[in-house]
This record gives sequence, structure tokens and C-alpha cells, in this order.
Amino acid sequence: MFNRLVSILSKVNADYSDIRHEIKKEVIISFNGRELTQLSSNSTDGYVLRVLKKGGLSSIAFSDHKDASKVIKSAEENALLISKNIDEPVMFAQSEIIVDSFLPELKEDPQNITIDEKLNLTRKYNDIPLCESKIATTNITYREIARDKYFANTEGSRIRERLTTTRINGSIISRDGNLLQNVRVGIGGSNGFAVLRDQEDEFEKRTSIALQLLKAHPVRAGVYNAILNQSLAGVFTHEAFGHFSEADLIENNISMREKMKIGEKLGNRAVSIIDDPTVPDLLGYYKYDDEGTKVKPTQLMKKGVLVGRLHSRRTAAAFKEPLSGHCVAEDYRYAPIIRMGNIFIQPGKYSLSDLLDKLGDGLYILDAKGGQTSGENFTFGAQYGYHIKNGKISKMVRDINVSGNLYKTLQNINAIGNDISWSKIGGCGKGQVNIRSCYGAPHVLVAGIVVGGR
Amino acid sequence: MRRLLEQARMISDKAELLSSRKVTNFVVFENGKLKNIDTKVQLGSSLRMIKDNKLGFAYTKNLRKRQELLENCKVSLKGQVDANFNFPLTKEYPKLRTYSVSLSALSNRDLVEECQRIGTFLRSKINGQFNITAGDSIERLHIMNSTGTDIRMRASQYVIAISLVYPNSYAALRRLFASKNFKQIQKKDLMMMIELYNQSSGTTKPDTKRLKVLFMPESMHTLTWRLQSATNGAAVYEKQSPLSDKLGEKLFSKELTLYNDPLNDDLPGARSVDDEATPCQYFPIVKNGVLSNFYYDLYYAQKSKAAPSGHGFKTAPWSDEAIALKPSPSLQHLHIKHGKKSFRQLIENMDKGIIVGGALGAHSGNIINGDFSIGLSPGLYVKNGEVIGRVKDAMVAGNIYETLQKIIAIEDTVHTTHTGVFPAILFDDVSVAASK
Repeated sequence: MFNRLVSILSKVNADYSDIRHEIKKEVIISFNGRELTQLSSNSTDGYVLRVLKKGGLSSIAFSDHKDASKVIKSAEENALLISKNIDEPVMFAQSEIIVDSFLPELKEDPQNITIDEKLNLTRKYNDIPLCESKIATTNITYREIARDKYFANTEGSRIRERLTTTRINGSIISRDGNLLQNVRVGIGGSNGFAVLRDQEDEFEKRTSIALQLLKAHPVRAGVYNAILNQSLAGVFTHEAFGHFSEADLIENNISMREKMKIGEKLGNRAVSIIDDPTVPDLLGYYKYDDEGTKVKPTQLMKKGVLVGRLHSRRTAAAFKEPLSGHCVAEDYRYAPIIRMGNIFIQPGKYSLSDLLDKLGDGLYILDAKGGQTSGENFTFGAQYGYHIKNGKISKMVRDINVSGNLYKTLQNINAIGNDISWSKIGGCGKGQVNIRSCYGAPHVLVAGIVVGGR
Repeated sequence: MRRLLEQARMISDKAELLSSRKVTNFVVFENGKLKNIDTKVQLGSSLRMIKDNKLGFAYTKNLRKRQELLENCKVSLKGQVDANFNFPLTKEYPKLRTYSVSLSALSNRDLVEECQRIGTFLRSKINGQFNITAGDSIERLHIMNSTGTDIRMRASQYVIAISLVYPNSYAALRRLFASKNFKQIQKKDLMMMIELYNQSSGTTKPDTKRLKVLFMPESMHTLTWRLQSATNGAAVYEKQSPLSDKLGEKLFSKELTLYNDPLNDDLPGARSVDDEATPCQYFPIVKNGVLSNFYYDLYYAQKSKAAPSGHGFKTAPWSDEAIALKPSPSLQHLHIKHGKKSFRQLIENMDKGIIVGGALGAHSGNIINGDFSIGLSPGLYVKNGEVIGRVKDAMVAGNIYETLQKIIAIEDTVHTTHTGVFPAILFDDVSVAASK
């Protein structure tokens, strides 16, 4: 494979070029209710070429290597067009030349599991909610994606890396008359098929929540003090803070760049945040990013002070900051962009019971249901919550969406729990979908969260 | 392609092959500066086979691996997915003008120059950040099936998206322009968004209560997403639609007419047949407030004993890899009928209210129940018919089955957005929450 890649690179007339070839194998098994609606197993491949010429960086994704000559010509033209229309030429931060093959060991390689076993396991979990009369239907999907990546650049790096991701996830829909409620469910990981086994409890728990939501009341709109559970605190970390630690998102936004200066005190002393894709067994685990840089743990916030940032080779040079190895693509259709790996809030000292006592009256909000950020403002949905009265968990509430200001919220995180938990399912959509984006957090206590409601 | 279809037919009862070749270019300007030029040359094929009334599906981007595609489709057949339908024989269908030859001559240099021209104009009108993305695509699509259908389509598209960005955020007023060939944006088409942007440079705080709320076209997907979900034939069949027994009922304000119009070839992306070769049609979903139709692909039409309505498209939220998807019911050409008030008159109609310029978290919450609860990105506060500033840290929430009954007025003009062609709509009595 590397011979073909090097041959293509040898035809590029540029200051630097790299090429990534990926072979992607994908298995999908989908149930809608009791009906199996898809079982498919596919294998395909494609290429992404990047060219840095006279200070202009361009990329082209293509399917057929026979198009390489045309593609090279276009990439060179695009790079020159960019170079003539930008003020500062693109530079790349120095990166180690690496020749390596990284094929992480899996606890049961899903490619060695028969499709019948995958189907039976998915059906078994799907059947759990469907035993209940008030569960209207389910949408449950098994998905396995194995990316076998070959990277070569003109500096001499030759890297093969295989990333395998498996999951069973979807939604459980309960119904009482015209009232419909849905709860997300998901198990999975990046360390093999074994993580999917013996997860009946999770499907039973989520089914129970879907049924309880039929009796819950909609939350009233207002401003609340609240405890966010690990999933929601993790989404906050990822959506509200993490994205603006990605240098490519702020590089041309003058006001955001000013606000996100290294050394700025942005959060409460209790808050420290790290992104560390080097931890095996976490969903976002990898060794080399998609421009051939070895990833390293990056402390982003320490005791409320911004101390680091996630970078590509281009942005590390532009910001004059250390290279972090966070430039990752969804697959063979995309040039890499800066992504989080495993981002997390470092645990504090409080138990959930301590946090409830500190809260007194407010909301306990649980489990993420999508989130989005727009600079200093963020919004995310929660699957359910509870009123808290005098530190005691009271009635369940539903229809909770939370909004806030990043900087105010970072300041208003008053206490941090000691019980970190990690996401098992990725899916961040920053132009491309990152199925391995992983976040972690303990419970956190936040003052003054805006909750939308009727 | 024909040989591959024949090979598939030999190992099944029925087969369908869809092949695509698409070339796209995008030029991205951030804060007035050229950031990126991205090109993609993507081709691929997807295959469906039906054997003993069971369905198999496979795809590949590598057409040299045809045998692997066939083998993968055979494996898929083992899933025993029901398929009591036939691939349609479609010989007669509207001949649409979907391709403009002039677009093939458009270069990335032309895209850069157009962005620079718009940028120079915007710089003279606003004191803030603006982003511009311009792009073009040419796609060839070929659908064949063993029933005898053999349809080739070619489509061209030019788009330019403009965002006026507020400080400390990516909250922005946005406009999208799309056509089959290159068209210079007229400066007058940008004046309303420039005016709104300049009027909302300061921030203000509304009281937390129920207000008039004006959804701009760019935030309308918050509401249409939930309605599309409820009228999807799949949701109706799977008992996850609150509308399953409400066909023919008046559920919304009589001003609301929502329809799918794939045949309008004045717009780019028009289609005479869907991705299953079922002929497309003008298709009302809500007519004068009355629920008119559910929409189907072949699979769910068969399940529901309904007629396929030409809505089987290879699309899914967050996915742009059509070839990797099996068809599902989808409204790809959604329109809301315009009303009678100008945009300015809609604002003048607000004694106190919020303009939702963009929605944050439209995909969150209980979509199937019609609930929405969105951050404002941005939200503009209106008092006595005038925009007085931008609202921060605020949310608008409701349920579409209540909100869509409270239409005060609809704009007299429609605008192309990423999710459909919509006017702005003013609603009464919507819940607004904001930090103190």
C-alpha cells in the first residue's frame, strides 16, 4: 500500500504533501420495533491528498486512485490560489518522522464474531423494552466500523493505524395516549466486541426511565441552581468549553481568540480540564492523528486558568503553541480537522450526597440528549431530571433543555464530584461526524442555569 | 453497470443499482480571509437485491470490487429483512431542467473572487465579523433496476452562504443563496440582514414570560423537523407519531400550508424520481392547517399498505454519504407557502417579542412529541415594533402542536435555507426563558 501512496506523492510538485488511504469496513444491524430493517456488511476505501505549496494548503478527497493525476493538478492549483489570496503563508509545526504500525489489541475483534452472533445480541437487547406494554417501539442499531488507515508524507512518515469502534445504540419510545417520550440508550467502545456483552441492565434501566417519563411533568421555564450528572457535565465540557479549545474554531474569530488567551482565568478554581486520547479502553483512544502526529495528553484548564489548546500542525505554527496531535478525520472522505479525543473534568472531592446537600433546592438533571454551541452560548438537552427539595430527590421532570453562557457557567461551577464516568457513544458533528469523540466528568454543581420549558 | 445489475439479478429475484459521481468544490472565507478550498471527487454504487421477498443492501466506493459488492449484498440477504415490494418500472416521468452547462466552467478562482466582492461590500456596511462560503457541485446519478427502469440524471448547484457573526460567539444572521448556475448576489438582497445586524449590536434582557416570537427562515427547521418526524410514514407505521390517526383534521392555523415540491426546477436539486425511481410529485403535507398526507418510500408504503409517494431518498441526519444509506422516507424539497406581510410589517406587529435568528439545539429534546426548547443564536429583542438589541442566555420553548395554532402572520416572501424554502412566521404566546 505504501508504495502506491509514495508513488502518488512523488508526482506532487509542492513544498509538502501527504496522503491517507483508508479501507473502511462497516457492519450495520437495525431494528425498528421487532422488525429487522437492515443487516449489511460493507467494505470500501478512498484517499485524501493534502498539498502545501508556496504557503497555501489544500486538500482533495477522491475515490479512485486512477484519478490521482487530475487530483494532484487540482490540489496544486487550489494551493497556489490560496497562497495568492492569504496574508500569512501557512506553515507546519515541526513533527517527528514516524514509521510505525499501530494495531491496538481488542477484547474480541468484532471482525472475528459471526454476523449471526451480532444479530442475536442486538435482538436480545432490543427485546428488553419491547416486553413492556407502554413501550411503543424502539430504534436500535448495531454499528461496527473498522478504519484501516495508511498515512504517508513527503517528510518520510509511514504510519498504519487501525481503529475499530463498536456500539449498540438507539432510542426507546414510550407512549400513553398522545404523549410520546423517548430515551436514548447506548453501549459501546473502541476496545472490542466484549464491551457489548452482559449489558442487559443498561437496557432495563433505560426502559424504566422511558416508562417513568410518561408520568413526569414538564419542567417550568426559569433559572435554576442544578446538579448535572456525569453525562451532562461531560457534554458541557465537550460542547461549551472543548470546542473553543480547538484552535481552528477560534483562529479567525477575533473576539473568541481574545477571550480564549492562554493564561486567562476563565473558570472557578475547582475546574481543571484535560484531553487525553492516550488512555486505552476509552472511546477516544488513538496513537497518531490523521496528519501523522503522535497524540499527547493536553491540559486545557488548570484551576480555572486556560493553559493549553488542541492543535493541528498548521494551527500550532500559527499560534506558536505546542503541537498536540488532535487533527482527525471522520474517514476517507475528509481532510482532518481539530477534534477532541477523551476530554474530561478532573474529579473533585464531593459525593453526590454532598452535592445534593450543597444544592438544597434546585434541579438534578441527567443524561445528555444532544448539545450545540455557538461561541459563548451553549444549549443541550437532558433526558430527564428531578426537583430537589432540601437536598432530597423529589419528583421527576421532563422536556429539559438547558442553555447558558460558557464563561459564566465555568465560574458558576461551585463544586465537583468524585465520581467520574465516561461516554460510551460518540457522534460529534463539527462538519464531520467523530464517532469516537469521548467525554468524561463527575457530577457538578452549577448555579444559575437557564432551563427552557413551557 | 448493466453487467453488474445482471450479475445481481442472476443471484436474486429482483435487483436495483444506483450509481453516483459527484464533484464538489467549496471556498471558505472566515472573517473576510480565505481559509480553505476543499474539493471532493466521489463516486460509488449501492445495490439492493430482493430474493424470496427478503431484502439485501450493500454499497461500495470502489467499483473495481464488484464481486465484493455482490458478496456483501448476499450476506445482507441473510438478515431476512421483509421486502414485499417490487422495484418500479418507471418510463414516463417529468423532464426537468436540473443542469446548467455554464457551471462546469466555473473555477475556484471565480468562487474566490465572488466571495471577495461580497466581502468588500459587507466590510463597508458592518463593523463586525462575517463569514462566506461558496461552492459548486455537479452530480451524475444513474438508477437501474431489473424491472426495466434505466434513468440517468445530471444536476448542477451553486451555493453561497453568508453569516454576519456577533462578537464572542458564532451566533450569526445567515442567508443562503442557491441556484443551478452561478449568479452574483445582488447587494439589495443583503440589506435586510445588514440592517438587523446593525440594529442588534447591543445586548438587552427580556423578562421571562410568554411573548410574540418571530422565527426567521433559518430557524424554521426547529418546527418543521418535528412535523416532518410526525408525518414520516416510518414513524406512523412504528407508532411513534402523535398524528397517526389525525389525517384530514385541522390541527394548525389555517395560514399554514406545508408541501414538498421536487418538480420545481427553478430551484437546484429538483427531482423527477426519487432514489428508488418512484416518480416524484407535488405533495401537500399540511394544507390550510389541515393534515393532508403522510409520505412514504417503497419499504414503508408496503408495510403500511399505502401507495409509495416518491419520497424514498438516501439521506439521514448528520450524513452526507448518500451511497452508503438505504432509502428512507424523506422530504427533500420542503416548502412553506408564503403569507401576505412583509418582513418589516411582521416586526412592526410585535409590541414586545423575540426574533429567532438562529436556533441552538434544534436537534435536542423530545422531537417525536413535538416539543422544542432552543437557545437563541441569535435572538433579537423587539419592543414597539423595533429591534432594540440582542438577547443573550435565553431560550424559546414550546410544542409545535400548540405553537403552530398561534400564527399571527406569515412573510410574503420565501427564502432558501439548508432545510427548505420558508418565509418568516410570527407566532403569539411562546414561552421565553432568560437569565436575570
